Amino acid sequence: MPNVDLLRMTISELAPKIQNKEVSPVELTEAALAEADRLQPTLNSFITILHDGAMDQARKAESAISRGDYRGPLHGIPIGLKDNLATAGITTTVGSKVLANHVPEEDAEVVSRCRNAGAIIIGKENLEEFAAGATSNNPHYGAVHNPWGLDHIPGGSSGGGGANVAAGVTFVSLGTDLGGSVRLPGAFCGVVGLKQSFGRVSQRGLMVTSFNGDHIGPMTRSVADSALVLQVIAGNDPLDPSTVPVPVPDYSAHLGKGLKGLKMGVPSNHYFDMLDGEVETAVRRGIAALEDLGAELKEVSLPSMHYIGALRISAMADGVVTHEPFLKSHREDYGPDVLYRTIPGQFVLGRDYSKSLKVQRLIQEEYARVMQQVDFLVTPTAPVPAPRIDAKYIKMNGEDHRVRGPGSGLISRNTSPLNAIGLPAITVPCGVTQAGLPIGVQFITGPFEESLLFQVADSYEKVSPSQGLRPTVTVGV
Amino acid sequence: MKVSITNETLKAMIRDYKGLELSDEELELVRPELESYLSELEKLEDLDLSDLFSSRLLHIPD
Repeated sequence: MPNVDLLRMTISELAPKIQNKEVSPVELTEAALAEADRLQPTLNSFITILHDGAMDQARKAESAISRGDYRGPLHGIPIGLKDNLATAGITTTVGSKVLANHVPEEDAEVVSRCRNAGAIIIGKENLEEFAAGATSNNPHYGAVHNPWGLDHIPGGSSGGGGANVAAGVTFVSLGTDLGGSVRLPGAFCGVVGLKQSFGRVSQRGLMVTSFNGDHIGPMTRSVADSALVLQVIAGNDPLDPSTVPVPVPDYSAHLGKGLKGLKMGVPSNHYFDMLDGEVETAVRRGIAALEDLGAELKEVSLPSMHYIGALRISAMADGVVTHEPFLKSHREDYGPDVLYRTIPGQFVLGRDYSKSLKVQRLIQEEYARVMQQVDFLVTPTAPVPAPRIDAKYIKMNGEDHRVRGPGSGLISRNTSPLNAIGLPAITVPCGVTQAGLPIGVQFITGPFEESLLFQVADSYEKVSPSQGLRPTVTVGV
Repeated sequence: MKVSITNETLKAMIRDYKGLELSDEELELVRPELESYLSELEKLEDLDLSDLFSSRLLHIPD
């Protein structure tokens, strides 16, 4: 099989071939690195490509597998890591000039788990500066380009990972999601993006901007692959107090079980209030398809979402406190979008911070009640398809909304609520616009119900109009 | 009534709370984020934040 065909496969398809020694991890990694080199001038999806390190790991994987020491589905699989995940001995910039030469001494917990599972790390991926935005248009390392439309953003902040998975460079990329930063690249790049329950995956080794909602999650080419990766990275970390010692189930066990008897909640407010027409049509078609598969539709109301914007208040204060040491010593190294979006956090009053947390609790309680009535929720992932890289504003309902920097937030309005609420959410491709840009549908379940989330997402994926669609990247334009 | 904060107030906060300095030009650049903060606060004026579990169960009788 030609290497380019191998690079288009999913982990679920490829892993048995690696285990059976039909596919060599060394040849696979060589192919992935060659594709990374070929596409880097066009997509700008990496900050660092790890040629030597990846080939060393690949040779070790091949040797282990040939001895019969197969470690599981990630063994020998080329993966990418967002460059805000600490990697021992490897530069970890967090997309910033401030940390341009930062070399951590230890791996992040998720990185250790991936290494132990035999995954091959081929590079550190480009992102928004300090992961603080939804465009991946980085002032220091350049803009990441969307493989489906090179003039468009891939979403962010984990845009390099979304672009790489969609373009067939990596089989999975680990991103981080504080307001949608895995799910938005998932939606804009036409791949699957998972933000699991808060506390399910260790944050240790991530530069956490807020301990109230940051998550590390995978972007993959299928729901089944997302389940395989979560299986590796999920679990209690005794050194990360945010993780919860809930047993890790077999996430693949419910795949293929269908939707009959499940109650599907469709919010009557917020999530469908500000939407591009093509996005709404695609998601409504998705909902109809889910009904055809046997899910029972129930409209649900979430009136407290009227106040969801108040959660930004505590996030503002968390942001400035995280950045304060860097701002005092390296302020001149910040790009203007992150700088002037972060500093206003110093004006947040403690009273208002506390109110913000109370609103968060109010909304959490409301979702807890709603999740007693339904098994899962369905919403659009992003309200619009990927904007152009040079777009400063998006017009919606007659108003201009900033795409990036101070005052922005439209793109993440459907994803960011789930970060503070803590419920698991996944985006699955549900079609493309007339211009050929992907659209994503978001599924949400109760806490620690990722097995159900995968069951729902997998059922939909099999009937999605995006099945079999892939971008063709024109190099050298 | 739309809430706003004057540059003088912001400068006094920076001075008295040892905040990060901002020039007049930079104060205008942080305005969109500040306006967003204040507008969200305004929305909360009609919200009863005492109606949370378990305050909902443990309150002074009407």
